[in-house]
Amino acid sequence: MSRLTDWLAPRTVVRAHCDLPCGIYDPEQARIEAESCYKIIEKMGANSDPAFTTRAIAIKEERAELTKHHLDVLWHDYFKPEHLDKVPNLHEMFWKATKQVSKVKASTDIADAKKLLDMIEEIAGAWRATGGAEKTRVVKQTA
Amino acid sequence: MLPAIAPGDWLLVNPTVSRWPPPGSVVVFREPDTDELAIKRVAAGPGEEVRFREALLRLADDEAWLTADADAATAAAAGFGAPRDSRRFGPVPLDLLVGRAWFRYGPLRRIGRIR
Repeated sequence: MSRLTDWLAPRTVVRAHCDLPCGIYDPEQARIEAESCYKIIEKMGANSDPAFTTRAIAIKEERAELTKHHLDVLWHDYFKPEHLDKVPNLHEMFWKATKQVSKVKASTDIADAKKLLDMIEEIAGAWRATGGAEKTRVVKQTA
Repeated sequence: MLPAIAPGDWLLVNPTVSRWPPPGSVVVFREPDTDELAIKRVAAGPGEEVRFREALLRLADDEAWLTADADAATAAAAGFGAPRDSRRFGPVPLDLLVGRAWFRYGPLRRIGRIR
């Protein structure tokens, strides 16, 4: 019987993939990318070399896209409906912040980048208020 | 892909298909971003439109839109992350189609046509 089962058993395995949620979420990831945008705009103001400007624009757009990605992951994967009790304006906060990222992507005004950092700080406050720091990060080893 | 396909199911796959089977069919294909063998359902076929909240995508003549049966909430309830399907990797071209999964021949209690 087991020989028959062996003979019948499929030889090939196919998968119905899902993402494996690692459960690590931290607004710091978005902030670091947004800080890159801030610094790049600052450096663009101090350098008029066309080659530098071209490169800076490309890198800023890439960093802005990463900022948006990290904000989206926080919004979609970390925050849950029950968090709305503690942060009633959660959706508006993310909607405005991701819109601001798009603005920073196209802008060379440092005030736009600063506003984005402030918005991410507000999101970080919501993450802390909902226990994100304790629930989603691995505790660092201290020497 | 629960309940249509469960982990451990033994499937008969027709590898002779030369075009995308109609929407609703379950297909085995190679994932565009990983090249791994995967199984999903055809949600829309070549030339059809895929509607989003504020956009519309028309599929090319050799493309299909493949989706998991479970949505993100159902997958999360089962302890998984969001399904990896066309919402992640976009339309799938015909040359990545491996075959149509049409019959489940094991385990015994689950034998039957795949719907």
